[in-house]
Amino acid sequence: MDSLYFPQTERSPLLELDFAKRRMRIEGESYPENAAAFFGPVLKSLAHYLASPAQDGSSSQFLVDLRMAYFNSSSAKALMNIFQLLESAARRGVRIQINWYYHPDDETMMEFGEDFGEDFERARFSLCVLGEDGE
Amino acid sequence: MSIADEHFDFQQRMQAQGVIFSFVGYLSEGILFSLGESLREKMRLDATDANVAKRVFSIFVEQVQNIIRYSAERLEPGPPAELSSGMVTVGRDQTHFFVVCGNLVGRTEGRELERRLRELAEMDKASIKTYYREKLREPGPLESRGANIGLIEIARRSSRPIEFGFAEASQDRAFFCLKAYI
Repeated sequence: MDSLYFPQTERSPLLELDFAKRRMRIEGESYPENAAAFFGPVLKSLAHYLASPAQDGSSSQFLVDLRMAYFNSSSAKALMNIFQLLESAARRGVRIQINWYYHPDDETMMEFGEDFGEDFERARFSLCVLGEDGE
Repeated sequence: MSIADEHFDFQQRMQAQGVIFSFVGYLSEGILFSLGESLREKMRLDATDANVAKRVFSIFVEQVQNIIRYSAERLEPGPPAELSSGMVTVGRDQTHFFVVCGNLVGRTEGRELERRLRELAEMDKASIKTYYREKLREPGPLESRGANIGLIEIARRSSRPIEFGFAEASQDRAFFCLKAYI
């Protein structure tokens, strides 16, 4: 399956879906003119990938790194849809690790991380505080 | 009164109310972006607390996107090139930032908006947070455009209950106004 890569723009995040490396990352700000148009193809590819037979064994794994700085409510809905796909894949036996990175001073992103984290039972969701150098 | 006197008077009155900017007319995603950028730049220059600045920006984006998507007065029927009539004012009084938006709505949409805003007005911060999470989890296509969540996001980021109201505009339309403080 082909990987997806969208570079960061003024209003949309960097988004990479790398199936060869079994990882996904989303970074930056997200308030695109049309969240459904931006996230639609990503959701479709991810759903297709996670449902494919190669991912069905318990040995399979998938890593997700998120470094969001801001997102609007339509993007929040899209992120939730992505998380729901990941959680259901985890319930089928895929080992899912999600890292939610946030700056220690960023109350909003910390709170979103805590909120999102409560929805996972089978997928592993970790809150990761970024250092001064952004790592 | 000369045009200069007239507009100076207008400008002075806006300034006295702490207005940072006010836009009246057709709003688009492009205008949202440009106004948003200058708002952020202004807050950076004023050394506004980063968390406050983020909340102001977030409320501004949700309010303007609501106008773009739901104003009853528009030039294009739908995306990608939506031009929707409305107004948005961002300012700061002695203690708080405020974002005010106004646009025309149909009677039915107005009644639904009022019902949802009254519901939100009765909730405390913890209930708003829970309600937000419930709405986010509700299955539904992205095409619903997230606006149900937009109002909750505004309520959540506000430091006071949202103020809102309706004025008679015509037989089938009302002018809807919403003010949030940060």
